Amino acid sequence: MKCEQTREKSADYLAGELDEKSLAEVRAHLADCPACREELEGLSAIWTKLGVLPKEQPSASLRSRFYEMLEAYKEGMEKERARLDLGRNLSRWLGRLMPRKPAYQIALSLVLIAAGLGSGYLLSVRSRSAARTEVAGLKGEVDDMRRIVAVSLLKQASPSERLMGVSWSAQLDRPGDEIIAALLDTLNQDPNVNVRLAAVDALYLFYNHPEVKDGLVRSLSGQTSPLVQLSLIDLLVEIRERRAVEALERLIQDHDLNPKVKKRAEMGLTQLS
Amino acid sequence: MEPTSDNRLMEEVRDGKVERLAILFERHHVMLFNFFLRLTGNRSLSEDLVQDVFFRILKYRKTYQGQSKFTVWMYQIARNVHVDHLRKQKQEVPLDEQFEEPAVAETPPIERLSAEVDAALLKKALDRLPLRKREVLLLSRFQEMKYREIAELLGCDIGSIKSTIHRAVKELGKIYFELQGGTSP
Repeated sequence: MKCEQTREKSADYLAGELDEKSLAEVRAHLADCPACREELEGLSAIWTKLGVLPKEQPSASLRSRFYEMLEAYKEGMEKERARLDLGRNLSRWLGRLMPRKPAYQIALSLVLIAAGLGSGYLLSVRSRSAARTEVAGLKGEVDDMRRIVAVSLLKQASPSERLMGVSWSAQLDRPGDEIIAALLDTLNQDPNVNVRLAAVDALYLFYNHPEVKDGLVRSLSGQTSPLVQLSLIDLLVEIRERRAVEALERLIQDHDLNPKVKKRAEMGLTQLS
Repeated sequence: MEPTSDNRLMEEVRDGKVERLAILFERHHVMLFNFFLRLTGNRSLSEDLVQDVFFRILKYRKTYQGQSKFTVWMYQIARNVHVDHLRKQKQEVPLDEQFEEPAVAETPPIERLSAEVDAALLKKALDRLPLRKREVLLLSRFQEMKYREIAELLGCDIGSIKSTIHRAVKELGKIYFELQGGTSP
């Protein structure tokens, strides 16, 4: 065996995957070739070291989040199934109403068309005035639905879905207390930095809401990520929130504070006072 | 009684018994977490990515074919999750990462190297290995995958996986010795 072939076999040698014959050949070559011997010994040493690297354990929240997601998925599946069953039953029932003979089928469809045209005419006369109020009502309903979707997205396990929840919230005309609370909650609790950053941006849109300014000022002291701290400071300066002065002063006292954040906070203080 | 195989369980998940995914989660989530942790060096991010993998397994469960080993399929998804994460991260400024994992302290003299520092050095060396080499090495050394399976997972031939392993271990050794303050042998 030559050096080249020995090198080709080294991966299998390390993994203990060589059959006896190849192993014997490799060993025979190593006995004659100090360069290959030294190289393979070096590789083996590192390979063995890698094996003793301790396995890290994830936090307990990973498991609970997984089971939450699994439950939510199962629930969704059951709802889907119920809907499908309903649809199937409905179409079976309608199918039974259909007459067998083609002539009767045509007659039935003509009757239905006539009925449809007639009632459509009647309705259009009556409802033109009602239409305007209905459109307004529908708009409200869409907003309500958006609100529900946004809140439930914010509670999802996957960060990308929570991000979507934040952007849905930002599209609302009147967010309402529930959304504001959910966004503030996301800003303070969400484990993912990107989601928290998006929450800051969304809250900026609603800073006129009474809860928001308070919540933002309070959140500043609880944030640990420099990125979120920076964008919170920017926002508070932007909306000229006087109550932020105290929170910024406290933040600057923190010795572990990231230097960039500290600089930005000091600048913010001069801008506010 | 023989425990139910991963492939059998995943087939059951595919066919509607989604609660069986819990067993697969219990079997593999720590390994997956360690895989991501070695790739990203960030604990909470790695947990998010693990969660994302299992979410996608549910989402795409109907596409599971059962021809290859379940773990091959799972790590294919895991790699996609990681690639998507890198793509997302590129768009944002990756300022945050550097604050999460405390840097390894100044390299102490060799005689004071405890096992712990040794492990930390090795981890640091792994971090410096190029992504492709690191991935292949992680899969074979920590995720207990055969070269044949890694080749299938990455869509290349087994020979190139073996030579990647050879080069990866060699390069890792070099970085490791440099970090120790010595010169490579």
